[in-house]
Amino acid sequence: MDQTINFKEVTHTYQPDTPFAQNALNQVSLTIASGSFTAIIGHTGSGKSTLVQHINALLKPTMGEIEVSGRTITPATTNKNLKQLRKHVGMVFQFPEKQLFEETVIKDVMFGPKNYGASDQEARADAKQAMALVGLDEDLQEKSPFDLSGGQMRRVAIAGVLAMKPEILILDEPTAGLDPRGHKEIMDLAEDLHEHQGMTIILVTHQMDDVVDYASDVIVMDQGKIVKHGRPQEIFADPQWVYQMHLDLPSSAEFASRLITAGVPLKSVPLTIDKLADAIVEVVQGGHGHE
Amino acid sequence: MSNFLFGRYLPGNSWVHQMSPQSKLMLSFYFVVVIFFANNIWTYAALSVLILMVVLMSGVSIGYFLKGIRPLIWLIIFTVLLQILFSSGGHVYWHFGPFSVSDTSLINGGFIFIRFLLIIMISTVLTLTTTPLAIADGVQTVLRPLKKVHFPVDTLALMLSIALRFVPTLMDEMETILNAQRSRGVDFGSGSLRHRIQAAVPLLVPLFTGAINHAENLSTAMEARGFTDSEHRSKYRIYRWQRKDTISWAVFLLVGVLVLFIRKS
Repeated sequence: MDQTINFKEVTHTYQPDTPFAQNALNQVSLTIASGSFTAIIGHTGSGKSTLVQHINALLKPTMGEIEVSGRTITPATTNKNLKQLRKHVGMVFQFPEKQLFEETVIKDVMFGPKNYGASDQEARADAKQAMALVGLDEDLQEKSPFDLSGGQMRRVAIAGVLAMKPEILILDEPTAGLDPRGHKEIMDLAEDLHEHQGMTIILVTHQMDDVVDYASDVIVMDQGKIVKHGRPQEIFADPQWVYQMHLDLPSSAEFASRLITAGVPLKSVPLTIDKLADAIVEVVQGGHGHE
Repeated sequence: MSNFLFGRYLPGNSWVHQMSPQSKLMLSFYFVVVIFFANNIWTYAALSVLILMVVLMSGVSIGYFLKGIRPLIWLIIFTVLLQILFSSGGHVYWHFGPFSVSDTSLINGGFIFIRFLLIIMISTVLTLTTTPLAIADGVQTVLRPLKKVHFPVDTLALMLSIALRFVPTLMDEMETILNAQRSRGVDFGSGSLRHRIQAAVPLLVPLFTGAINHAENLSTAMEARGFTDSEHRSKYRIYRWQRKDTISWAVFLLVGVLVLFIRKS
């Protein structure tokens, strides 16, 4: 099924008609391609979370419209009949472990499918599958989610979203507060869902290394607008501009740009460790070649 | 929760903003007492003029106050209806069983409506122009005499300011949890009563868990920084009585005396 997401001139104002009124999105138009792995970056308060919450109609536009898999969300859209859309678009919030509430892990993971009308049996099957997907042991099923470690709780919460079998998955800073290993596991899970389950992944993140390691497309936001939309190489090609946006470079690019300032003649700004190594090798060997 | 106005502070630098919190607190209380002495059109008119003056001097637009009234409108309508249907006396226009509508009851209903409006206005002025922490501070100052009878005024004020401090935090968290559960297919605010109560569980359990976590973290943080209850604590901000307070009190006291004179005896 086509999972293309289309924003047309979307504006969102928080608390309109009050002294607190604030334009969080300003005439945003964009297309997120079906099957892409799109990262959304931008400094705090640039409108990233507001943007993604429009995709499953948790927020409705103040002006403009959004098309998600054949459904159109307009300012007039009511809260009724949004279930199908929300089943289709899975949403993992920041610190999703905060949403856990059931007595046992399995019940919590079954909660989503059951809300969407699955029978007990179906929900249980979906839940087991989702738990396996995120790498949770079967013997955790009957434990209380509140007895688990932080990393495990997060995976239970993500399983709770995956059990609904969404086709679009939104991850809002899914690795915040995790240790390096937990971080890598969650990101690898996202990659696996993208590669093998064909999900469209939308990742809101501050980790530029994740952007270059996993994303195929990058959206840069600033003050409620989209300032750049392209491949990671295009986004990070201009370090000055990246710093102006109050963002960081990926660590290999930063390393490389420091080498360049120090006078090492690298030909391009490499975004991954491997490319960085290649570029350095090239300079070193090139140097020898001339002698 | 964009419609939520209660306890919301609007930054500003008006006359009302500059008054000391303890004086505003007592003045609001005094005003509410005076309202209950009003019993005819002239007394209500005097109080309405006074409150309009206060609103104008607070620099907050009137539309903002009307918004604050909206969530309470059903309570007001219900009370006014009770008053109209059940009060007796005067010329009866319509009656059915225990219900009757007379000219007195209509007038009384109108008065009750104005009374509600006045009370809501004065308390809205107070919360819109005073930060929650300043209010807690004001409560502490006002209750200070109770220290003589070993009432734990400081502890109470601390509890109050912590509670007020966490209102926005918990509201934010509620919003996030609401959104997270909505994304998992919960339909809040529709369906049968039974369904709605069931829908509250996935909201309340995480909310309470979060609140208890906050409490634990906060108490650890306070202890780590050497907080003890018994010490005499100094303050970063000290709110002193000012000339603006004296003038405001003079005006309010005058209106209070006026009300006593022109009320129907």
